[in-house]
Amino acid sequence: MPTVVVMDVSLSMTRPVSLEGSEEYQRKHLAAHGLTMLFEHMATNYKLEFTALVVFSSLWELMVPFTRDYNTLQEALSNMDDYDKTCLESALVGVCNIVQQEWGGAIPCQVVLVTDGCLGIGRGSLRHSLATHSQRSENNRFPLPFPFPSKLYIMCMANLEELQSTDSLDCLERLIDLNNGEGQIFTIDGPLCLKNVQSMFGKLIDLAYTPFHAVLKCGHLTADVQVFPRPEPFVVDEEIDPIPKVINTEGDEVGTGITDDNEDENSANQIAGKIPNFCVLLHGSLKVEGMVAIVQLGPEWHGMLYSQADSKKKSNLMMSLFEPGPEPLPWLGKMAQLGPISDAKENPYGEDDNKSPFPLQPKNKRSYAQNVTVWIKPSGLQTDVQKILRNARKLPEKTQTFYKELNRLRKAALAFGFLDLLKGVADMLERECTLLPDTAHPDAAFQLTHAAQQLKLASTGTSEYAGYDHNITPLQTDFSGSSTERM
Amino acid sequence: MKIFSESHKTVFVVDHCPYMAESCRQHVEFDMLVKNRTQGIIPLAPISKSLWTCSVESSMEYCRIMYDIFPFRKLVNFIVSDSGAHVLNSWTQEDQNLQELMAALAAVGPPNPRADPECCSILHGLVAAVETLCKITEYQHEARTLLMENAERVGNRGRIICITNAKSDSHVRMLEDCVQETIHEHNKLAANSDHLMQIQKCELVLIHTYPVGEDSLVSDRPKKELSPVLTSEVHSVRAGRHLATKLNILVQQHFDLASTTITNIPMKPTFSVFDQEEQHANTSANYDVELLHHKDAHVDFLKSGDTHLGGSSREGSFKETITLKWCTPRTNNIELHYCTGAYRISPVDVNSRPSSCLTNFLLNGRSVLLEQPRKSGSKVISHMLSSHGGEIFLHVLSSSRSILEDPPSISEGCGGRVTDYRITDFGEFMRENRLTPFLDPRYKIDGSLEIPLERAKDQLEKHTRYWPMIISQTTIFNMQAVVPLASVIVKESLTEEDVLNCQKTIYNLVDMERKNDPLPISTVGTRGKGPKRDEQYRIMWNELETLVRAHINNSEKHQRVLECLMACRSKPPEEEERKKRGRKREDKEDKSEKTVKDYEQEKSWQDSERLKGILERGKEELAEAEIIKDSPDSPEPPNKKPLVEMDNPPPVEKSKGPVSLLSFWSNRINTANSRKHQEFAGRLNSVNNRAELYQHLKEENGMETTENGKASRQ
Repeated sequence: MPTVVVMDVSLSMTRPVSLEGSEEYQRKHLAAHGLTMLFEHMATNYKLEFTALVVFSSLWELMVPFTRDYNTLQEALSNMDDYDKTCLESALVGVCNIVQQEWGGAIPCQVVLVTDGCLGIGRGSLRHSLATHSQRSENNRFPLPFPFPSKLYIMCMANLEELQSTDSLDCLERLIDLNNGEGQIFTIDGPLCLKNVQSMFGKLIDLAYTPFHAVLKCGHLTADVQVFPRPEPFVVDEEIDPIPKVINTEGDEVGTGITDDNEDENSANQIAGKIPNFCVLLHGSLKVEGMVAIVQLGPEWHGMLYSQADSKKKSNLMMSLFEPGPEPLPWLGKMAQLGPISDAKENPYGEDDNKSPFPLQPKNKRSYAQNVTVWIKPSGLQTDVQKILRNARKLPEKTQTFYKELNRLRKAALAFGFLDLLKGVADMLERECTLLPDTAHPDAAFQLTHAAQQLKLASTGTSEYAGYDHNITPLQTDFSGSSTERM
Repeated sequence: MKIFSESHKTVFVVDHCPYMAESCRQHVEFDMLVKNRTQGIIPLAPISKSLWTCSVESSMEYCRIMYDIFPFRKLVNFIVSDSGAHVLNSWTQEDQNLQELMAALAAVGPPNPRADPECCSILHGLVAAVETLCKITEYQHEARTLLMENAERVGNRGRIICITNAKSDSHVRMLEDCVQETIHEHNKLAANSDHLMQIQKCELVLIHTYPVGEDSLVSDRPKKELSPVLTSEVHSVRAGRHLATKLNILVQQHFDLASTTITNIPMKPTFSVFDQEEQHANTSANYDVELLHHKDAHVDFLKSGDTHLGGSSREGSFKETITLKWCTPRTNNIELHYCTGAYRISPVDVNSRPSSCLTNFLLNGRSVLLEQPRKSGSKVISHMLSSHGGEIFLHVLSSSRSILEDPPSISEGCGGRVTDYRITDFGEFMRENRLTPFLDPRYKIDGSLEIPLERAKDQLEKHTRYWPMIISQTTIFNMQAVVPLASVIVKESLTEEDVLNCQKTIYNLVDMERKNDPLPISTVGTRGKGPKRDEQYRIMWNELETLVRAHINNSEKHQRVLECLMACRSKPPEEEERKKRGRKREDKEDKSEKTVKDYEQEKSWQDSERLKGILERGKEELAEAEIIKDSPDSPEPPNKKPLVEMDNPPPVEKSKGPVSLLSFWSNRINTANSRKHQEFAGRLNSVNNRAELYQHLKEENGMETTENGKASRQ
């Protein structure tokens, strides 16, 4: 997931830190030192993640747009000037804009705010922002919570005592609260020195930037893999199951499971390139066959593996995670019910690969697939009546369709208790009967009269004639081609 | 997200009292005469729906949309109230569809206007609604069973939508009080019952409906908390389409729906056969279709401001729809890679011609890309409509930059430089291991439920026990002649025919060896011509043995295949044999243990074999190493009796029916050999044809010798 580093470059960051050594350090040096450590960690363990660098004082500036080039970020750290006062709100608004423009509102981002705990004075100071928080209108909404899934990590170049001596800590805590509790505040333990800054950033790395190593298994074929971006824990149902689901980190899942592994993937060197790797085999075959592999990530959590190619020639093995649950894709059915084709009586894919057991059809069709009757708009009713009328005029050729439409209307009218309609349509059919031209087939008149009579009976609502499952059947006549005796 | 929120259970209570039979006073022309045929005919008088008909069709529409978008876990219970309560269905999933409800409503029929109004009341229905909310649904039951001691986490909330004709505001108040009291009572009952659940939260939505043109006697009231358990809101709505509109808004509010209008749908007038006559020959206009779906499908449109409106249920906001433009369908699926979600849809106007044209188009398997109308020229595709298995989904395509862009090529990573992967073979492997749904439960022999997915994993395990990844690591998988054996040996159980085929394969290989046919041994990395022909065959036999051995524990028939293989495989030349004889002696000792060689050992052997294959390929020690490793299983020199028979006497007598070629052959060898020598003392004293060797050593040193023997083999 992308990271935005928001660095405070206000004057207060130039406050010197008393160190025993000869060199004089400022807080911003400590901050730069910590960030260097973070960037180095990411360059080795997170090389596919994007990071941006924003500096702010009373104004903000995007120093480095989202990049995977950690050298650029590193360089920018050493080229920072000192500016005026801290104005956090505008910087956070800036972060909102940058992230939304780049990734939209659905991609989760981590925001690392590096500051010294001096929150500015007067307008634009955090105190001022928080004091006016309740009086915001839509146009000048406070930027928190961020309009995208986020974690806000506040790295304070100050220790706890210093922050507690003012209300700084309270203000920063409010920030986290405003971000729906998503985030954490880090402070320096003990005196301000390089070592303690390192340990603070170490904590951040442990919390938010641990690389995701796993083992991809297919029976006895296995490969160590690292996954970018790191899959995050997921809460399925905050009430029933409030503990976030994480990808299985232990256990010996047989088959398409993923388990954790301690082996360091970074030893990928010349030799590693020449040792056969299951991922490459799998990728190649998935690509050639145009298939995807289902991968199990934990109990009731699945995903799929496939070959993804960008516009160029490069392609790689990609894993997409489904939403945890027993049935993430309805047209595949329950994942647990997927079994090997060898257990089936005959190959469901056909001998020549010409069919597929998927997609599964739902038990009940959706309304748009089952010709439901809706008469809320008059046009719906009119169309249905017209259909009957049009078929009535083409009797006896259209006898079947005529009765099908008639019965459909009858059923709906009975369910809606709309008996007047049945009477009305009966009258209409009787009138049609009188309008039949001389050339009309004699059967037409019989069928129209019969249908009208049956509708009238149904419109009385008596159970004998108004049964929902009862269908009006065509009158058997000599003309209808059957050999039965005329009644 | 909460599964058991208020929208898990919805109870409709529809008034069936005599006054509901009254007309809604909104006329419907149903006799639309076609122009050229209607001279001199007066159309039939328009008809109007009753309040009952309006209420029922609006609530059915609410259910239709809900079932379309949430076919599971959102349940409706329909109650009709007159002189008593008629509960038309239950919470079970089978009862949750329109057909069932329509049939039940038809059985109830319209209200009887001549019934005694005094004994009819909506109260019966409301009481029944509270009662039914206390009943546990199968989803709640399942969750409770699953959570065991945490069962109390399963919530019981619900919503009562009551459509009635109230007399006044105080009448409404009376209804609310009644619900409040009933909840109180039933919660007491539920507290002492295992089958009932207490209601934690109930939303009462009272809809007062009255004929068009009359004044409402009841005033609207927004949602108000009557007690910690009960909230209530009152809507006063004219009947007819006003009522339908109201319920449409409510279903959107209750289920977090949003609306998308697809615009610019090109539609030929000949699409619908039935409506041909109404069409003007040359209209080919563009149509709009409005769809409802979960609001998450609009996540990218929710600008910073909109996401935080929270619970403010402004009516106006639900009228809003997002307009997206139809794009002529393409087959290029590249956009799908960035699909971030798929949401079920329901057309607002389901059987209008444009709607059904669009839905049929999609149900026939085609997809439609949807474009955001933008003022500037750039074209942004943000959604796609497509169906899967008879259900239409609105797919959200990410229109921003992707965090997955520019991934490194797989060839840059581990194993990326290797060029001889068995890509085609693994493709075949994948096709054999494809999945298919098994909807009917199956049971294992011990009666426990068999999980198809576990079966699939078991199969993967079996099929990969010996599966070299690259061509130069294997001989047998490069040989067409081995296919009949390799394809069946991985099976869980073999048929007689399978065994026969395996044996045939082995005989075939023996034949090849006799004829000195060349083998596809990889010469990659080897100096000179590579191993000699007999050496090649030994490598091949060893590999084949590894494959078969990996499966001997599957069944007795697998064992027979191994026996056949061991009996037939080529014998190493004598001089080598002599060289190794010293070592062999030791090895023979753990021979007896090795017969019940478990799979783990085999596996570790395989691994070391594989590793060696990579690291030492081409080195001359390789051949030697393999021979040494393999020696315990290699046959004895020809002047001795073949070892196999000592360990695994072929089950000649056991097998009924015709004698197999193998047993026939083994028997012959047996008798021939037994004539040539005196029977070993060990065999004479053996138990089950097994005799312990070097017993005196064991007495002196314990198990050490055996240990040493093993160690020397590694």
